Amino acid sequence: MEKPQLSCKLGILSRPDGSAMFCEGETTVIAGIYGPVEVKMQKVINDKASVECSYRPKSGLPGIEDRLYESLIRNICETSLMASLYPRSAILITLQEMHDSGQLISCAINAACLACLQSGIDMKFMFGAVTCFLTKEEVISLMPPISKSDVKALFVFVFDNAAGRIIASHTEGSFSEEQYKEALNLGREESKNVFIFFKKTLVGINSC
Amino acid sequence: MNLMCILYSVVPTYQPAQKSQNKVRLSQVKVFDNNFKRRNMAEEYKSLHPIKYYRDCLAHDIRPDGRAFDKFRPVLLNIGSIDTTDGSAIAKVGKTTIVCGIKAELCKPKADTPNQGFVVPNLELPPLCSPKFRPGPPSDQAQVLTQLIADIIENSKCVDPKDLCIYPDKLAWCLFIDFVCLNYDGSLIDACIIALVGALHTLTLPSVDYDPSLDNKLVNLEDRKPIPIHSTLISTTFVIFDDKIILADPTVDEENYCTGIVTIVLKGDELCCVHKPGGSPITEDDLFDCIDKSKLRSPLIQNLIKTALKQK
Repeated sequence: MEKPQLSCKLGILSRPDGSAMFCEGETTVIAGIYGPVEVKMQKVINDKASVECSYRPKSGLPGIEDRLYESLIRNICETSLMASLYPRSAILITLQEMHDSGQLISCAINAACLACLQSGIDMKFMFGAVTCFLTKEEVISLMPPISKSDVKALFVFVFDNAAGRIIASHTEGSFSEEQYKEALNLGREESKNVFIFFKKTLVGINSC
Repeated sequence: MNLMCILYSVVPTYQPAQKSQNKVRLSQVKVFDNNFKRRNMAEEYKSLHPIKYYRDCLAHDIRPDGRAFDKFRPVLLNIGSIDTTDGSAIAKVGKTTIVCGIKAELCKPKADTPNQGFVVPNLELPPLCSPKFRPGPPSDQAQVLTQLIADIIENSKCVDPKDLCIYPDKLAWCLFIDFVCLNYDGSLIDACIIALVGALHTLTLPSVDYDPSLDNKLVNLEDRKPIPIHSTLISTTFVIFDDKIILADPTVDEENYCTGIVTIVLKGDELCCVHKPGGSPITEDDLFDCIDKSKLRSPLIQNLIKTALKQK
């Protein structure tokens, strides 16, 4: 099955503690992470670090639709990071959309994971995201259809690398339970490739 | 005119064992005293070690409010509650109360979608509904939930924006769907979606005579027609407690102490949203178990909505 080409560059920014540019097909996102840093008084949590995420679209100001992505990525990072090791501090994750050809959410999540890995912050497990598309002809694929109007439904799955369990699921459009199951299995298989890619990136095989 | 319909009740009642008459006085006083002490201790325990309190409760296969893990709270729906709106409903799921009102306004369609109207949902979480919220601009949670509701409406296509167009490129309806939470006790999306479906079914729009050459519009407020509703949505929320226990229809405390949340929205037999925004990872079996449970609940809520509509 055809699948989007993954590519990545770690540490492209000098100021953040960890940064990564991640491409999934043509979709590209830059992620930067600061942490643990000083936390705002209102957001202090006594027994763990507060994780914050801000997402910036390609043009214009972040709108209300970006809040949903922010909260999704924040929740995923909060689960995966060992936040209890850094009490009374903050971990800030910033994402900048560069180009979107359909897999924006999964690309942003993968970029966030690589930035976390590069920053050296403690994590419980890695997380990898995969986008599956259901076309109008009821075919499930990993490649985005050429025209956006051909997409009947879109699934984003986030898995952990430890047990392959589902951390997050985000769907758009309507679909049957069987289609969901099929997309989930396809996503799980593909997530293994994503984790292999992450590991290769970290040991420097994929560096461009 | 508006009758309330209660679907089903799962509130257990505690019935003390019958005592023989001659012993009543002393023993009743004692029982009362003991219960009082026990309740006080439970409350102290709950406020001092909330998570441990929940863990201990759940270890005995029961939730603090007396429900089993997969039981839902009673649902209440009242439709057409507000006269000044074009469509309205009040939904209660347990103690969670949502008022939904739809106001239709005339507007000009966007240039790239000339034959479509707009649907603009907005969820308000005032400080009245929970101490978590402060007065001022909408909280993050309100914004996220508003967007989730907007996504659900768009994904399910329960209202087709094309039905809202009056004259292409000139005039269309914009539906402002406002939700106000009066009491926040968990499963907010479930209550919002029930209220939304109820309100959409009572929605009527006045007919509009539009003359494009003069850009003259005449609204006949007397002649009102309902809009086509293409599907009935049913939402069900689950929480994951301590990475393994799955609780259906959580209360606000369960939502606060849980480690993950899953919202499933059904549209007839189809799924239109499986939303798990992070939180503790779950296995595929657990996820499909949740989908099955929400499929079992869906006909009950559909019946409730049908009954409410009939009684109107």
